[in-house]
Amino acid sequence: MLKIENLHASVDDKKILKGIDLEIGAGEVHAIMGPNGSGKSTLSNIIAGRDGYEITQGSITFKGQDLLTMPPEERAWEGVFLAFQYPVEIPGVNNTYLLKAGVNAKRKHHGQEELDAMDFMQIVKEKAKLVELDPSFLSRGVNEGFSGGEKKRNEIFQMAVLEPELALLDETDSGLDIDALRIVAHGVNKLRSAERSIIMITHYQRLLDYIQPDVVHVLADGRILKTGGKELALELEERGYDWVREEAAA
Amino acid sequence: MNDIVRKVREQGQAAFARLGLPTTRLETWKYTDVKRAMAPFLERLGEAPTEPETLDAATIKSLSIADLDAYRLILVDGQMVAEASDLPDGMRAESLAALLTEHPEQGIKPMGMEEDAPLFNGFVALNAAYAQDGIGICIGDKIKLNKPLYILHISTGTVAHICHGIHVGEQAEATVIEHYVGLDDVIGFTNVVSQVRLMQAGHLRHIRLQQESGRQTHIGRVSVRQHRDSQFYSHSIALGSALSRVDIITSLAEVGASCDLNGLYLTTGRQHTDHHTVIDHKAPHCTSREMYRGVMDGRSRAVFNGRVVVGEGAIKTDSAQTNANLLLSATAEVDTKPELEIYNDDVKCAHGATIGQLDANQLFYLKSRGLSEEEARQLLTFAFADEVLVSIDIPAVRRHIEHAAFSKLPLGVDISEVLA
Repeated sequence: MLKIENLHASVDDKKILKGIDLEIGAGEVHAIMGPNGSGKSTLSNIIAGRDGYEITQGSITFKGQDLLTMPPEERAWEGVFLAFQYPVEIPGVNNTYLLKAGVNAKRKHHGQEELDAMDFMQIVKEKAKLVELDPSFLSRGVNEGFSGGEKKRNEIFQMAVLEPELALLDETDSGLDIDALRIVAHGVNKLRSAERSIIMITHYQRLLDYIQPDVVHVLADGRILKTGGKELALELEERGYDWVREEAAA
Repeated sequence: MNDIVRKVREQGQAAFARLGLPTTRLETWKYTDVKRAMAPFLERLGEAPTEPETLDAATIKSLSIADLDAYRLILVDGQMVAEASDLPDGMRAESLAALLTEHPEQGIKPMGMEEDAPLFNGFVALNAAYAQDGIGICIGDKIKLNKPLYILHISTGTVAHICHGIHVGEQAEATVIEHYVGLDDVIGFTNVVSQVRLMQAGHLRHIRLQQESGRQTHIGRVSVRQHRDSQFYSHSIALGSALSRVDIITSLAEVGASCDLNGLYLTTGRQHTDHHTVIDHKAPHCTSREMYRGVMDGRSRAVFNGRVVVGEGAIKTDSAQTNANLLLSATAEVDTKPELEIYNDDVKCAHGATIGQLDANQLFYLKSRGLSEEEARQLLTFAFADEVLVSIDIPAVRRHIEHAAFSKLPLGVDISEVLA
């Protein structure tokens, strides 16, 4: 599904990623953990296509295609989705219609017929239930006046509607209280499928109690220092990150 | 001609002879040069109106706001051709030409010959000298209009000086829409003065929508006097004309009055648009709000000047003003100047102006959801402009303005449904 090879990237001449290798198969859920400033968000932003990063070496292929040459919207059409760490508020742009435009752009790209308003509303209402999103949010401006938790729920709701093949969840757990975390995790679990790969980026093991990953990676200093099963997350929770660094240096 | 009418005409002519058309040497006209735009009309400024062209119903319909339930009046080239029917008791809306003949002392009231009024200029003098028609509106005390009064003005390419008077009685409530349109590609000059008076606790929503043809010159002035606890909501939308200038002046003359001025200008090609507003806080405990937004593309140019004056006695004034502009091309231009003049200490005032481009984070968010760069850009542009229109609470009017504004940009109509 996704293959990252020897990826080096910098921002304003500062090296952030220093040789990332990562391969994720269809239907797999990977967690990427690591301390602040390790390059986790940079990695998800680069996969989604945000401007401002210079790729100095390496490649990212998605379903066999070179992802780095595609503009962000084309990545979305091909099935990449980023749940933002800090979802932006866009007053005046209707939440539901934005999704409709997104879904239809994707359908058009794949030579499918556009959905009409009625069919689309049906889908939207169904998916809103998944994350217990109040239907009144659907007709509001994108994230406008939403609380932190509501914004995160809205991201997962969007993921449910857009049905990506690769979802990047960038610190989706941050800013959530325990009830909201449970709802969001439930939504994500419902969206797990054999055709959908998920990358979860998080500081804390907490999220992984609810969404069990197949693979856990430790990202620090711009490189993946260790890869293991879900028990690695528990070990990190207990021992911190330093021992991984020391082990990698040894 | 009646003596008092003749006197106003002569005063207007004398003032115009003295002032002439405003030039860029005047501080308040520094960025708006009317010389070229006025050149075709210099010999015709005072010509007597001819019988207005008869327009067929289909043409009028195509120029009107669709699906609007309103009392309608139609003017063609500055002369009333269709009067409102079924007006409720307690209100009148009649031709100024008729008033000047039958009740001249009432008719001359809106003709603004107060030369010391803010932003008084040669165009106002011209209007007093030559305005033949307009609508005199009187909403009686405690009358609450159940639907808007809609004044459609159609230019067929002539010189038209129009004068409207709007009197809103005590505790009365009304919405008045002035809509300026023209036949395709005509070259005409429209010069309008609207004189508004709000009596105690009167309430007026005034929507001024300028959509004249792209070769027109449009000059407007809305002058408002507000009495105790009155509320004035103004929406000024400038989309059409080669050159347009609208001055909105409101005097908060008595305790507790409030005004809310909203404006949107959207220019493309070589259009030039200018808004000057003056909010004059004369009395204590008055509130003013102002939000103007502009979007400029091509080689177009916009001017905004918002002056707020808080007089010595106007304690507990609460005033906030913003002007935000988006430049869509490197050759578009805007000159914006908020001006605050405060003559007492007990006030709360805020103002600010911005000129900018679209927000990169918002753009990326939209693209990450599958919108193309072009769609994302236009959508954000529309959302920016639409914030000024949210407060227009008549859906047919808001939809009409959105459609008219957004169809000026390439993807406008297709993506306008994405707006919240």
